[in-house]
Amino acid sequence: MENENPAERSGTQPAPALSDPEQWVDLHGDYLYRYALMRLRDPAKAEDAVQETFLAALKGGRSFRGRSAEKSWLVGILKNKIFDYYRKISRETTFTDLDFYQDEESDRFVADGLGQGGWIHECGPAEWPANPGASLDNEIFWKTFHECAGKLPKNVRAVFCLREMDGVDSREICARLGLTDSNLWVMLHRARMALRRCLETNWFGKM
Amino acid sequence: MTWFAKTLRALAPNCREAIRLQSEALDRPLTWRQRFGLWLHLGLCLWCRRYGQQIKFLRAAAQRCDQDEAVDQTLPAAARERIKHALKDGK
Repeated sequence: MENENPAERSGTQPAPALSDPEQWVDLHGDYLYRYALMRLRDPAKAEDAVQETFLAALKGGRSFRGRSAEKSWLVGILKNKIFDYYRKISRETTFTDLDFYQDEESDRFVADGLGQGGWIHECGPAEWPANPGASLDNEIFWKTFHECAGKLPKNVRAVFCLREMDGVDSREICARLGLTDSNLWVMLHRARMALRRCLETNWFGKM
Repeated sequence: MTWFAKTLRALAPNCREAIRLQSEALDRPLTWRQRFGLWLHLGLCLWCRRYGQQIKFLRAAAQRCDQDEAVDQTLPAAARERIKHALKDGK
């Protein structure tokens, strides 16, 4: 498709590299940094990821026509760097993570008897406002959202980001992070449970 | 316990299971049996219906949080310089 541009077909000069690598930082640095920061929640790690991305891009040495093509190429590299980082942390299960798994909101369900496994009455999910989507325009909602997500164990937050933010397919997540299906489902279930509860307590409950 | 409650317990999951199934339904297709049991449960349980709507909202929010331009964070100047140097050296 790109070669169909008549100017380029007739021209003898090589395809112009849109931007010099040294300009990358100014052109794409902020975007990539935000992208990484949103997923890694750690400024130092996000900076490293951006740097690694540019260095890998330099080695890859391709040139693009059009800034958006260049940007999505760089984002593709960054995504892989983020996956690498996630893979590393998915191998580290810390002690607090075990607590997180054991909790299972047991305190919210009837422990035995006839209603076993049912919500304890005062503890069932509360009603949220009729249009919770309105919150998405509120800056404080996002602050709360990120704070709540920040409380998840790192590896749980990683799979939550991949699955829910980026919509990565479950199978791909399992394959690339070395998880089993049921592993992943448990992590996502816990993540949703904890995030829902945290938002209910700190945002919707206070509206 | 009435026969109704007994039958229901045999066919439908309890709340704890129902919320797990609702979560899994966002990541994989449930079996027909699971879907039937869940349908039965949700028909009777307001809390679990709410739960399902709320985790769907979480997904919608997570998808939007990337486009949140209010997060106005830029690459810090020091890092910018460092990366430019690294790129020069790497050439």
